[in-house]
Amino acid sequence: MNRVAIAVWNPIVAKEYRSRMRTWRSPLAMTVYILLLGGLGWAIFSAMAASARSVFNGSPANYGQALFLYLVLFQMVLLAFITPALTAGAISSEREHQTIDLLFVTKLPSFSILWGKLLASMSFVLLLLLLSVPLFSLVFLFGGIELDQVLAAFLVTAVAALTLGVIGIACSTAFRRTLPATVAAYGASFILLAGSLLYGLLFPTAIDPNATAAPAPPAVSYISPLLPLVTIGTSQPVTWYGIGSGFSSGAGGGMMCSGTPGGAQSCVPLNANGVAIGKGVATPFYRNPPQATGTIIPSGLFAGWQYWQATVTLQLLISLAALVLSAILIPPTRHLPWARRTRAARSA
Amino acid sequence: MIAVEGLTKVYGHRTALDAVSFEVPKGEIFGFVGPNGAGKTTTLRILAALLEPTAGRAFVDGADVIQHPDLVHDRLGYMPDFFGVYDQLTATEYLDFYAACYQIPRARRKKIAADLLELVGLADRHNQPVDTLSRGLKQRLCLARALVHDPAVLLLDEPASGLDPRARVEMREILKELQRMGKTIVISSHILPELTELCSMVGIIDQGRMRATGPVHDVIRGLTSGRRLRIMVLGQREEALATLKGLSSIRTVDIINGAIEAQYEGDDTTAASILQALTAAGVRVSGFSQLDGGLEDAFLKATSEDVG
Repeated sequence: MNRVAIAVWNPIVAKEYRSRMRTWRSPLAMTVYILLLGGLGWAIFSAMAASARSVFNGSPANYGQALFLYLVLFQMVLLAFITPALTAGAISSEREHQTIDLLFVTKLPSFSILWGKLLASMSFVLLLLLLSVPLFSLVFLFGGIELDQVLAAFLVTAVAALTLGVIGIACSTAFRRTLPATVAAYGASFILLAGSLLYGLLFPTAIDPNATAAPAPPAVSYISPLLPLVTIGTSQPVTWYGIGSGFSSGAGGGMMCSGTPGGAQSCVPLNANGVAIGKGVATPFYRNPPQATGTIIPSGLFAGWQYWQATVTLQLLISLAALVLSAILIPPTRHLPWARRTRAARSA
Repeated sequence: MIAVEGLTKVYGHRTALDAVSFEVPKGEIFGFVGPNGAGKTTTLRILAALLEPTAGRAFVDGADVIQHPDLVHDRLGYMPDFFGVYDQLTATEYLDFYAACYQIPRARRKKIAADLLELVGLADRHNQPVDTLSRGLKQRLCLARALVHDPAVLLLDEPASGLDPRARVEMREILKELQRMGKTIVISSHILPELTELCSMVGIIDQGRMRATGPVHDVIRGLTSGRRLRIMVLGQREEALATLKGLSSIRTVDIINGAIEAQYEGDDTTAASILQALTAAGVRVSGFSQLDGGLEDAFLKATSEDVG
């Protein structure tokens, strides 16, 4: 077998599949997962049907969109609970059962151990995602959701799960015991999903009156998969989150705006005393910043990207960093090549 | 086959190994003896390239454990002092998994697993889940695991600990069989009588320092002062004691369990002279045998005094 084949399909994967699927826990986890997701779908559908009976407030397409949005968000939250549990014990439990040394003395490279564990855990997550496909297909009964939205939502969910998985593996490698590794993995999972969104609330993008493009939430908040899932589900621009509420960006000052007969606004900057800054007619007038349209990030680091593209890119970068960290931490005897030469010279 | 030169391992302020050196030639069984915490496992883990020494070098079949851990892993089978078994796998699957980790082609793995299970006497349990095996059987399976890639050297850390006498005897027989197959074996243990019978070489380690190393009988002779005789006489014990005490080669005389045990200075000729003196004095000797000081005496001697 060549090196690539060994890396992709190593014995750890086969062993993990066997071990995982021979316990009652895996079928139970799958059943609970589908019941929870299906239960939520049913509850939302019932609620919408009940409200539709009293007041007609939308087309079936709206139901489809709302159902899809709730399902993808709930699926993401469920996976955020499941994935760290799958991976946080991957390496630390081998340490606790004292089986890791037995792997280290084989010809299997340390990285293959990590990779095998990751591949096996992620296969289970992929299985859960596949199990949910029939549920999501029900959304198409109502319409309002296109196939590309479903694919984008699944991609974001899968990549987010992968990131949580790799972070779990990194925690499992860094901590010697499973309990602290699990706590750290859940902490990282919470930061990834909610912490990054909290950042957008605490430090929203200040509206630049000179900007030619509409404001967008801070780039840190794109780490959270929830933001792109909402934009995919609603197909609406993000105007409700992560953007400063007024033009004021410091103590005092601000903007004075006046309406024109055409309905457009023109604004002029004010100083701290509320006096217009500038010299009469020569002062440039500021337009109201343009409003975002569609699901494209209008400005900032990822201007012109779709939200989900930015999220997937950031998550893959985080995954790569976590994987590199794990690869550095896992070997039993680790030293950099130059350190090895120095040691050898000293011993000689 | 195994060469250890000035191996030192320091954990913070604690020196676990202090310039340990020894050599094990090909085909020998080397007994590594020492109290708990003496540094046996640390040495074995360094030899298995699982731990980096602070200083010193170690070679397994010519491969440097620091420079070429991959070559070392290829040539060495390691059995730690714990079972390390996975639940949910059968004995065959367990061996097949490790054989795959050693990159043995699938076509050969089935036969290797079957042969090894036969060797360790588990052929009839090939389909039994590993976690349901008894302690002794798990230990044998772990030995089989250490052999999947047919290594030239075996490192066994406390292979007999926790085993009942019967399982220990069976384990000893398997190890003898492996020696006949030409394997070089290092066994760490604190069950000393077994090592005396099994090992051709021994190393006594205490508090991270090698107190004595070499062929078993040389170590025992070197560490136990004088040789001992066990003499059985018919009735004339007083005469025998008087005769023995009158000889210049005799150092101490005791009566243990009705037999006379005499420690003397000298060689086999001296022992013959002692027997001659007893019969000349009219003592009727019914039993006369040399007592080996034993590894236990040597071990106690080596670890009680501050050598070096």
